[in-house]
Amino acid sequence: MPLPGRRAVLGGLLAGVAISPPTAALARLFAVERRNAETFTLANGLQAIVLPSRRAPIVTQVVVYKVGSADETFGHTGAAHFLEHMMFKGTDRVPAGEFSRIVSRNGGRDNAYTTFDSTGYHQTVAPERLELVMRMEADRMTGARITERDVVPERQVILEERRMRTDNVPSALLDEAVREQLYGRHKSYAMPVIGYVDDIKRLGVNDLLAFYRRHYAPNNAILIVAGDTTTEAVRKLAEKYYGPIANRRVEPRRRPSHGGTDLPQKVIRADARVVEPRWSRLWLAPSYRVGETKYAYALQVLARLFGGSETSRLWRAVVVDGKVGLSAWASYSPSSLGLTSFDIGVHPAPTRRMADVEVAVADEMKRLLDGGVTAAEVERAQNQLLAGAIYAQDSLASGPRLYGTALSTGSTVADVDAWPQRIADVTAADVQAAARHVWRDDGAVTAMLTPAEGTR
Amino acid sequence: MKVGRALAALLAVLVALAPGMAGAIDIKVFTTPAGIKAWLVEDKSAPVVALSFSFAGGTASDPAGLAGITDLMAGMLTDGAGQFPAQAFRRRQEDAAASLGFSASLDRVRGSLRVLSANREEGFELLRLALGQPRFDQDMLEQRRAQTIASLNQAAQRPASVAARTMMATEFAGHPYAADPDGTREGLAAVTPDLLKKRAAALLLRSGLVVAAVGDISEAELARQLDRAFGSLPLGTPPALPPQWVPPTRPRTVVVERPVPQSTALLALPGIARDDPEWYAALIMNHVLGGGGQQSRLFNEVRERRGLAYSVSSGLRTYKRGALLVVSTGSANERIAEAIRVIKAEMTRLRVEGVTEAELADAKTYLSGALALSLDSSGSIASLLHSLQIDGLSPDHLTKRGQLIAAVRLDDVRRVARRLLRDESLTTVVVGKPVGVASDPKE
Repeated sequence: MPLPGRRAVLGGLLAGVAISPPTAALARLFAVERRNAETFTLANGLQAIVLPSRRAPIVTQVVVYKVGSADETFGHTGAAHFLEHMMFKGTDRVPAGEFSRIVSRNGGRDNAYTTFDSTGYHQTVAPERLELVMRMEADRMTGARITERDVVPERQVILEERRMRTDNVPSALLDEAVREQLYGRHKSYAMPVIGYVDDIKRLGVNDLLAFYRRHYAPNNAILIVAGDTTTEAVRKLAEKYYGPIANRRVEPRRRPSHGGTDLPQKVIRADARVVEPRWSRLWLAPSYRVGETKYAYALQVLARLFGGSETSRLWRAVVVDGKVGLSAWASYSPSSLGLTSFDIGVHPAPTRRMADVEVAVADEMKRLLDGGVTAAEVERAQNQLLAGAIYAQDSLASGPRLYGTALSTGSTVADVDAWPQRIADVTAADVQAAARHVWRDDGAVTAMLTPAEGTR
Repeated sequence: MKVGRALAALLAVLVALAPGMAGAIDIKVFTTPAGIKAWLVEDKSAPVVALSFSFAGGTASDPAGLAGITDLMAGMLTDGAGQFPAQAFRRRQEDAAASLGFSASLDRVRGSLRVLSANREEGFELLRLALGQPRFDQDMLEQRRAQTIASLNQAAQRPASVAARTMMATEFAGHPYAADPDGTREGLAAVTPDLLKKRAAALLLRSGLVVAAVGDISEAELARQLDRAFGSLPLGTPPALPPQWVPPTRPRTVVVERPVPQSTALLALPGIARDDPEWYAALIMNHVLGGGGQQSRLFNEVRERRGLAYSVSSGLRTYKRGALLVVSTGSANERIAEAIRVIKAEMTRLRVEGVTEAELADAKTYLSGALALSLDSSGSIASLLHSLQIDGLSPDHLTKRGQLIAAVRLDDVRRVARRLLRDESLTTVVVGKPVGVASDPKE
């Protein structure tokens, strides 16, 4: 969830838009001192962002590497995620498995994640333990020990993770197949973050070490510290622990500028484990970085007003009035180093067929494409997006997440700060133009999850 | 040494929770003119007010033949109220950027309101309407009924949901807690708008109401808003509590077949009540066994050493009339028997050997500090204040808690391990196509 930026921008931001009471309230809120990101960069290229907040005596450190599963090649899928697991297997100074135990016995929590574009490691501790976790995180930036002895059981753990998240879940298996069509087989974003089973079984110590050495370096990382601390304190610690680590030449990250070449496509998964069907359609869409990026803000407003809540156009047409669906949604996330997707989905009502749903959705899309949207609808969607950003500031976890995602997908701190302004600048005409740009048959994959008998 | 530092950290929480206030956290406990008791932490660091509240009586008191009505009623409180049908009511919420929601657990109906402090007048007005004049329109009932049945159908296919359901049904067989809080198709089919109104009238009472608030609002202002929202509800008498649960006294194994590559397993034992003198010893024992994060014995033995599972953990669950200790994991069908064997062996080892000095010390540091880690947002702080009240604790519990944890000795943990980790009352539920695990023969 994006976070509104500086007071100077925001003071003027909503004055012109203010019509309804909520907008006025939001304008007042934005005038409140915001939690601004303070940034610095070490000589070795490590970029740091500090988000001070004195609310609770806790501090969160996140180190995000600018590498994810989309940086892998076919045949080696799952390497970024496998490496993330191996980062807990120790260094010359910290024995295997001890990283998390040390954090825990110091009253803290830690974990890690891998996405298409980034790999992140985070710990939340009392402020006086920040030095400890920074020392350990810096230590494993280049000192991770990856051995056959640890790789073997961890491979089983990852296969269990894949069974739990994907192989046990029909909708996840369908999503995997859909991405292959949408982004084009064997290309970035088409392959699952956790990897294909055959690749996970094949990845070994040498693959993981090579991936580690190629991508883990201070100049390819972002340090984010949020909570009860100061920029000066963070700078001193960062210089002491991350400062001595030598930078390395890092290959530029590449993403395809085109998706699947054989669209439109339809992917159906008929599965004995499915009782409730699902219809969805995904369109290739521009992100903040690739494609017609000028539509990235209007598409967020479009997703919100078309299918972002129970008062949205799609919900009213499909669930309330048409009664062809039990629920309906639209979603779009522009934070991607490559292309992204705009998704619409419906859970069909009992006795209604997929074809009924398809017609109802198409009708509602046509209504928007032909008739446009009203200024009031746009403003309501903008208010909801901005309010969400204010609530996000009430949570300590949201700041690091936001900046980590932005900076690992090619955006800047300035982009994050400008987000409220850019959302507020979106007009009704922009929304209609963005819908016309994205909702094209030659960029779509239709996905259907059905019971095995295919009765509906 | 570590413990001392953790206590200092905990005390620091209490100071820092309410910026600008000197001394310890100021949980104000007060009673409004209309007689509503509330806890408040005034905190101006975000322009938000978060309210967490609940009414006595939950899904365990669903009337006969109407399984699911309480949960449905709770969810529909925000589906239109007063002269505002569902769409209009929802739009008012969206326009005020207010989030208002209700849900039902076995014992209570819970609600939460989050609103920008500038919009609090409208936020509490929506709450007043939802509680006092819910519509339960027929068309909305049909919509929610269909959605709930669809989600029951989905849950019946999801291994983790099936395991959880089967475990509760087995463990609490013959007790109201055995019923699915989401209800049954038959129960849901029998619900009418009138029955929903009756159910709301029976549960939304001032007697048994618990309220906690955090955020940018003064005591006087909160009192005024609470009286508006809750003041006109009847005092009433909440539904009678279910009988005390009598735990099973022999081991059982239940296998539910599902066509999936990974089996989900739950191992359940009778747990420990929140007000039991040995609660903190049990908390420490659970932490060492399979609690929080990646340091537990189960994590080490099942995942790190043997690669048998991605996820393995244990937790203490408390209800008004019963308590459980539940271990959960998931492993390939061919390996789940091995995972269960290792878990049982660890439970036995803990019962026989207890925990080590080092494990005790580490658990204390973690458990003392962990509370601060959860104070992430106004909503989570309000939720904590609400739970303290439900558990019958006083506002100064936050300062006492560290001492209670620090006071636990090795012997206390050993004693509670012997009391809780008993093979003869272990229920094992496995969902999938497990190899080498079978249900008990029918009697």
